[in-house]
Amino acid sequence: MSRLAPVVIDNGTGYTKMGFAGNTDPQFVIPTAIATRDAGSASAPNLPKKPAFLSSAASSSHLASKRGIDDLDFFIGDEALANSKTYGLSYPIRHGQIENWDHMERYWEQSIFKYLRCEPEDHFFLLTEPPLNAPENRENTAEIFFESFNIQGLYIAVQAVLALAASWTSGKSTDQTLTGTVIDSGDGVTHVIPVAEGYVIGSSIRHIPIAGRDITAFVQQLLREHQEIAIPPEDSLDVARRIKEQYSYVCPDIVKEFKKFDQEPHKYFKQLDAVHSVTQKSYKVDVGYERFLAPEIFFNPEIVSSDFLVPLPEVVDQVIQTSPIDTRRGLYKNIVLSGGSTMFKDFGKRLQRDIKRLTDQRLQTSEDMSGGSHKAKPIDVNVIAHKKQRHAVWFGGSLMACTDQFYSFSHTKAEYEEYGPSICRHNRVFNSLA
Amino acid sequence: MILLEANSYIIEESLLQRFTSEKHEAVDIKLVDFDGVTYHLSTPTSRTELHFSMAAPCFNELVSYGAQDIIQREYGTYLASATEQGYHCTFVFDLEKLPADITALAKKFGMLKRNVFAAPFEKAFKEWETELEEPGTLMTIHYREEEAIYLRANQDRVTVIFSTLFKEEMDRIFGKVFLQEFVDARRLPSIQNAPQVLYSNREPPLEIRHLPNLKDDESVGYVTFVLFPRHFEHPDVREKTISDIQLFRDYLHYHIKCSKAYMHSRMRARVQDFLKVLNRAKPDRSSTAEKKLASGRSFRPSPISLRPST
Repeated sequence: MSRLAPVVIDNGTGYTKMGFAGNTDPQFVIPTAIATRDAGSASAPNLPKKPAFLSSAASSSHLASKRGIDDLDFFIGDEALANSKTYGLSYPIRHGQIENWDHMERYWEQSIFKYLRCEPEDHFFLLTEPPLNAPENRENTAEIFFESFNIQGLYIAVQAVLALAASWTSGKSTDQTLTGTVIDSGDGVTHVIPVAEGYVIGSSIRHIPIAGRDITAFVQQLLREHQEIAIPPEDSLDVARRIKEQYSYVCPDIVKEFKKFDQEPHKYFKQLDAVHSVTQKSYKVDVGYERFLAPEIFFNPEIVSSDFLVPLPEVVDQVIQTSPIDTRRGLYKNIVLSGGSTMFKDFGKRLQRDIKRLTDQRLQTSEDMSGGSHKAKPIDVNVIAHKKQRHAVWFGGSLMACTDQFYSFSHTKAEYEEYGPSICRHNRVFNSLA
Repeated sequence: MILLEANSYIIEESLLQRFTSEKHEAVDIKLVDFDGVTYHLSTPTSRTELHFSMAAPCFNELVSYGAQDIIQREYGTYLASATEQGYHCTFVFDLEKLPADITALAKKFGMLKRNVFAAPFEKAFKEWETELEEPGTLMTIHYREEEAIYLRANQDRVTVIFSTLFKEEMDRIFGKVFLQEFVDARRLPSIQNAPQVLYSNREPPLEIRHLPNLKDDESVGYVTFVLFPRHFEHPDVREKTISDIQLFRDYLHYHIKCSKAYMHSRMRARVQDFLKVLNRAKPDRSSTAEKKLASGRSFRPSPISLRPST
């Protein structure tokens, strides 16, 4: 029997992307949420009830009648959100790291058997991990996948590297290099990650506490302040999200944009049709400055946050400046966007312009200081946006799992049994270098 | 989720997505189902013509038990004239001429695997209806590489035997406990009507003992279901019986995995309990307050350093 397609699962803080390798889009994008019976206390895992034979020897001949099936009574993804009123909802992943292994194991269990419908014993798996993931977490993951699910083989890839690989499909990237800066902005957090030849430069990674969720909240706040007609509070989050996804774009200059809107309101102001979720009445929402103000918080964070004030282009510049000097040109040349919150129109253009401005300025000062005797070669700044940006990490994983080498890079079940979970500390991609 | 569903969620979703999308994009999706079944969704000729193919490792066996008739009966209108290379049956949808109820259509194709695999079951039930004098033919479906389903209609019952392979020692033990529980559970008054389940490890049941090249190994288990007329006389019950029984192997393996996950969560909870006990045994650090010597000098009785501080 020929090998069945490997399974690619990208568990993110907000959403889980899963599907079979070889496809261009994940088959399922569902919230990483699980609804369980046990009151959703994420910190202290409830001790399941002792089986009947341990607690008391109450006389009954039917052992089966006393066994609970509480551990099977749960929902994941959209169904979890729908059942959140009667079940305790919890998010097993926080800041990209798995916090509750009990819930995560059950989450995987159902995503494999119910959503993907595959027998894990027949497949190889490709999972993703955030940069700077503790090796213990990786070992735990390997333990679950090899011991519980008996999978054939496992490869755990770093999200940033997969995002770089995904950008090869873009027409703009000329050479297939694994050197670049990845800006990964999802629902919960934004990372800026420098990668040199497939190695993540851990010491230079920066996190920005502004991401999709904050943009939605900001739009919601704007709507509350400027709207004449009241948006029902239970729908306002959804309306804000739709405005963000459908109408928002990045403007080159915020002052000029305000002027443009004031001069020709009918051209720029849009209307969004919404339906009240309870009464089913339809109403219209005027969409105005929110359109360009929403993504602006990446470039002027002071409009929403009081404790984080560094604009994204500056963060990117700082990240690259703290990386080893011989990689910097490569990092500037290949800045790759990934994640849903980088999908705004012209986001890449604005970022490229701002970073270019910063580097040119620095070159200029150093030239001036040398008294004009040294001419620096201008730095090539390139921000790459591509079609698969939204699920770039998953797409990169799908590409990678299609190659023949994937099977030789993966850790197989036999190896796991020989050496134990510590095999996952080693990545075989770098074999030739080590 | 206790039972696995007979319909494939992933196919329904993928089909619905294509059916509802306004602009018809080019598609090329490969999907997988239980028991090595693969699907291919593509638009090879034009963007409004969606091809959907299926391949199953034991398709030829299924055809010999009448799978083609079922496909013709259930999906006849969508059957393509030419079957895609490498697949066993192909269906075509014209995206501009879809029926009104696309959800039902997607759902119907989500049941494709179930319906194809239902062929031998339907055949066995039909054979039983003819009131046979002698036991009917023994049907074998090698649905996985080393595992098979055996079916035979008798005068008063239909016997279904699953052979299943446990790749791991631990799975086998879990499987054994699990299957013995079936026997226990059947004593409950509420499920007296459930079919009889027999389980044997390594030893093949009498019905199939005469077959050549049965694997003789500790890792093989045989599960026998004895279906009585009450399980398949009524058409609705019959459909349900077929759906449930053909997923039995996946159901079993799914629950073995679930029990392992349950064990793991108990282990984690227990480890955390033990850690708490261990932490209690740590020396108390609060007693490091300054103490005075008789001479008037003070010192800190710390468990790590006992140097007097000045």
